[in-house]
Amino acid sequence: MLTPLFVLLARLRALVARQRCDAEFDDEIATHLALLTDDYVRRGMTRDEARRAARLAFGGAAQIKEQHREHRGLPFVDATVQDLRYAVRSLRRNPAFAAVTILTLAIGIAAATAMFTVARAVLLRPLPYPEPDRLVEISEVNPLKDWTHTVVAPANLADWRARNTVFTDIAGYIGLDDRGASQYRAFLSGAGDTQALSGIAVMGNLFDVLGTRPLAGRTFSFDETFEGHDGVVVLTYGTWQTIFGADPAIIGRTVALNGRSTTVVGVMPPGFFFPNKSVQFWVPVGVKPDVFASMRQPHWMHTVARLRPGVSLAHAREEMTAIAADLERSYPDTNTKMGVRLEPLHAIMAADARPTVLMLGGSVALLFLIVCANVASLQLGRGVGRAREIAVRRALGAGRARLVRQLLTEGLVLSVAGTAIGVLLALAAPPVLARAAAGVLPLYATPAVDSAVLTFAAVLGLVAPVVFGLMPALTSSRVERLSMRTETASPQATRARETLVACEVGLAVVLVVGSVLLARSLYRLQQVDPGFKPEHVVSFTLSLPHPRYDDPAQARGFIEIERRLKEIPGVQTVGGASALALRGTTYTSTATIEGRPPADYQQELRHKSVTPDYFRTMGIPLLAGRFFDAHDGPTDLVIIVNETLARTYFHGGSAVGHRLKFANPDDTDPWNTIVGVVADEKQDGLDKDTRPEAYSSLAASSQNPLTFVLRSNLSDDAAVAAARQTVRGFDPQVAITDVAPLSDVVAASIGSERFRAALIGAFAGVAMFLAALGIYGVLAYVVSQRARELGIRLALGARRQELFAMVVRQGMRPVAAGTAAGLAAALALTRLVGSILFGVRPGDPASYAVSLTALVAIALAACVLPAIRATRVDPLVALHED
Amino acid sequence: MGDSKSEILQGTLDLMVLQTLEAMGPLHGYGIARRIEQISDDVLSLNQGTIYASLLRLQQRRWIAASWGTSENNRRAKFYSITRAGRRQLATEAENWQRIAGVIGRMLRLAER
Repeated sequence: MLTPLFVLLARLRALVARQRCDAEFDDEIATHLALLTDDYVRRGMTRDEARRAARLAFGGAAQIKEQHREHRGLPFVDATVQDLRYAVRSLRRNPAFAAVTILTLAIGIAAATAMFTVARAVLLRPLPYPEPDRLVEISEVNPLKDWTHTVVAPANLADWRARNTVFTDIAGYIGLDDRGASQYRAFLSGAGDTQALSGIAVMGNLFDVLGTRPLAGRTFSFDETFEGHDGVVVLTYGTWQTIFGADPAIIGRTVALNGRSTTVVGVMPPGFFFPNKSVQFWVPVGVKPDVFASMRQPHWMHTVARLRPGVSLAHAREEMTAIAADLERSYPDTNTKMGVRLEPLHAIMAADARPTVLMLGGSVALLFLIVCANVASLQLGRGVGRAREIAVRRALGAGRARLVRQLLTEGLVLSVAGTAIGVLLALAAPPVLARAAAGVLPLYATPAVDSAVLTFAAVLGLVAPVVFGLMPALTSSRVERLSMRTETASPQATRARETLVACEVGLAVVLVVGSVLLARSLYRLQQVDPGFKPEHVVSFTLSLPHPRYDDPAQARGFIEIERRLKEIPGVQTVGGASALALRGTTYTSTATIEGRPPADYQQELRHKSVTPDYFRTMGIPLLAGRFFDAHDGPTDLVIIVNETLARTYFHGGSAVGHRLKFANPDDTDPWNTIVGVVADEKQDGLDKDTRPEAYSSLAASSQNPLTFVLRSNLSDDAAVAAARQTVRGFDPQVAITDVAPLSDVVAASIGSERFRAALIGAFAGVAMFLAALGIYGVLAYVVSQRARELGIRLALGARRQELFAMVVRQGMRPVAAGTAAGLAAALALTRLVGSILFGVRPGDPASYAVSLTALVAIALAACVLPAIRATRVDPLVALHED
Repeated sequence: MGDSKSEILQGTLDLMVLQTLEAMGPLHGYGIARRIEQISDDVLSLNQGTIYASLLRLQQRRWIAASWGTSENNRRAKFYSITRAGRRQLATEAENWQRIAGVIGRMLRLAER
C-alpha cells in the first residue's frame, strides 16, 4: 500500500510549510471556537459564559496545537532545527568559547586532512594501471656484493622471461637515478626551440605489462626493443599538450631526438605516468639482441612484471628463486649467489617515503587527540557554567535524552564550523606541501584534495563531536536538582577536566620528545662534514649533443669548456665529474685489486671520472701521491682512490703504486696504477658511511653528461649567469641542467629530514600550545569559581604566596600525571622512529630532559596568570558576591 | 451526563469521522464534532479539539480531503470531504468493526449466562 508513503509526503510538505500550517490551524480552531460559542449563545448563555464553555468543551487549545504540530511534520527534524537554532543562539552569547573551540578544531582537522592528502598520494591511491596490485618489481640481491635491491642484468632478465610461468610478461627500463628521477635527457628539435626533455628507455613490452592502452596511436612492439628498430617514441599526454601544442597530426610525426630522426607512434592518456611524473617520453632501449642473450654484468635494468591471474606473490617468489638458482649453476662467473627479490611495485615506489608518512600520520593523530581533549575540556567547563540552565530545563520537563541530544547538536554546530574552516585550510595545503616537500615526496605522488580526502575530513568532523561532546553532555545532564551546588565548581567536572589536561600533556610529551629527537638528529646531520667545502661553489650539468660529440670529441669538448670557464673573471677553479656527491647517481663496476683476495674485489666498486681540478674545486684534500694533471692523457692508466679504499685494502700502508682494474681477475683488461689518495667525500647521503671509491681521469674515461663545479668569489647568480654565457658561446646546443649552488645540493640531500623535523616541530608546538591552553582554561575557571573561598582564606589570614602556591599546585597536578604517562608512551613510541634518526638514540636522555624542561616551563607559565589572579582576590568583593 | 460518557478509541474516532463525512457530505471540524455528539446522544465524551488529530491522520492517509470555504454564519472554515480511497477504507473498517462487535457481543452474552 502507498499509505505510509502518502503520510511521509504529507509530513514532509508540512515541514516545509510549517508557518502556513500553523496559521491555518490557528484559523481553523478560531472558527471552531466561534461556532461553538454561537451555539452556546443560541442555547441561552451569555457571550462570556458561552466563550468559556466553548473553550472547556474544546479542550486545551495549546496542547492540541502542539499535538497537531508533532503529528503534522517530522518531530525529529523539527526538534533538530530547534536544537540548531538554540545552539547557534547560545554560542553567539559566548563568542570567545565558540571561537576558541572552532579554531582549535579547525587546526586539528586541517592538519589531519593535509596529512591524509599526503598519505593518500603516497600510499593509498592506486597506481594508474589496470589491476595495479598485480604489478611486481623484480630486483637482484647478492650477499657477496652487499646488494639488497639492485637493478638487473639484461641476460638474466631474458632468461627469467623465457623460463617463468608466473608472469604474463616481464619488462625492463633504464634511465632513473637512485632517487627515482629520470636522468635520461634528450634534446628535442623539430618542435620550436631545442628543448631538453626527460625520459626513460624501455623494453618494447613495457606498456603491455602495464596494461594501459594509448590515447592515440600505438605503444611499442617487443621487436622495437632492439637496435635498428628503435627510432620511435611514445609521449605523455602532458608532453603532447605542452611541447607539441596538442598537434592533432602528432602520430607519425618525425622529430629529432638527440639529433636522431624519431617517429612519434603513440600518446598515452592523461593521468598516466610511468614510473613517475618526471618522465616525459618513452623510447626503446635500442640494445643489440646479443646483449640480451649474454650480458650478465653490469646490472642496469629496472624491471616490472605482471603476475598471471591467480598466481600469488609467494608462488612467484618461489619459482623465480628456483630460476635464479638454475642461472647460478649455469653461469658461476657472474651469477654466484645472485638471488632475486620480488616486491609489489607500489610498495617499492613508496618504500622511501613510507616511514616518514607513517610517522607524520601518527603525529597528526596524536595532535588530533589533543585537539579533541582540549575541546572536550572547554565543553566541560562550559557545561559546568551552564548547570543552572540545564537544571531549569530539566525541571521544566526536558528529558535527559533530549538534553544530551541538544548538547550534542551544539557540539555538531561547533564541529561543522571547525571542519569547514579546517577543510578550507587543507584545500590550500597541496601547493604548500608540494613546495615544502619538493624532493621529499616520491615523484609519482602529487597531493591533491579529492573526494576521499573530503570524506575523511567529514568523518573526522562527525566523529570529533561524539568524542568531545558526549562525555560533557552526559556529565552536564546528570545535574538533577536546582541547588546552590550548581553555582560552584562541580568536583566531578573539574576532575574530568584535569584528566583531560593530563591526557593532553601526555600526548604533547610524546610529540615534543619526537620533535626534539628529530631536531637533534637533523642538527647532527647538518654537522656532518660532507668531505668537501660547498661554500662559494656552484654546480651544473652539461650534456653534449650526440652524435656530434661522440668519442673522442666528447672529452675534448668538456676540457675546452672547462678551460673557458676558468677564464671567467672572479672564477678561482673549475672541475668536472661524471657524478656529483649527494645527487643520487652512482656508477659501480666489478673491480679487481692486484694482490688482494677475491672477497675484496668482488665488491662492486664505485667510480667516477673527474677532470684534474675537480678535487681542488671541491676542496677535497690530497692525502698521498698526486692529483691528475693535464699530462694524464687518454692512454695513461692512472687512478686515484679515496681514503676508505686505501684504508680498507691497504691497511695503513700507502695505496700509491698499487694497481686495480675494472674487471674480473682473469679478464685481460689493463691495470690502472694508483697515483693518489684523496680524503673521503660523502656519496649517497650525509647519514651514510663513505664506501671505497676510485676516480678515473676524464681524459681516459669520458662521460657525458658531465657535472661541473665552479669556485669563485662571485655571487651564485653571477657565477651561474657567466657560466651559461660561456657555455652558450662554446656551443648553443649544449644543454645546461641541474643548476644549483653546491650548498643547496648538500641542503637538498637532507631535505626530507628537514621537512620531517619542521613538520613534527610544528605539530609539537601546536600540541604544547593546546596543552597550555587546557591547563590555563581549567585553572582560570577553578580560580573564578573558588573566588569566595579564596577571599575567606585571605580574610582569615592566609598569605598571598600560599594562595599562589596552592593554585600552581593544583594546576601542576595533572601536568605531573600526564608527563609521567607521556614519558612512558614516548619511550615506547620513539623506538618506532629509531630507523630514521641519525646520531641520536630513541632513548636519548638529553632529548627527554630538554622536552620535559620545555613542557614544564610552559605548563608553569600557563599556571601563573590564574595564580596571580588568585592572589588579587579582594576578600570584601568576594564575600559580597552573594 | 458525566457517568454514562465513555472514552473512545482513536481508530473508532477515525471511523466515526469517515462515516459522518460519507453520510453528511463536506463538513467543517465543528460540524463533524457536533454531528458525532448528536448521533451518540451525548453518550461519548469528546473534547472537540481531539477531532483535529483524527482529521490530520485521515488527511495524511488521503482518505479525506480539505478545502477552505465559508461557514453558515459567514466564517472562514476548512471543509472536509471523504475521498474515494476514504470510502474504500470506510467499507473495510465498517465490516471489521461489525465482525468484532458481533464477536464481542456474543462473548458478553455468553458471560451473562
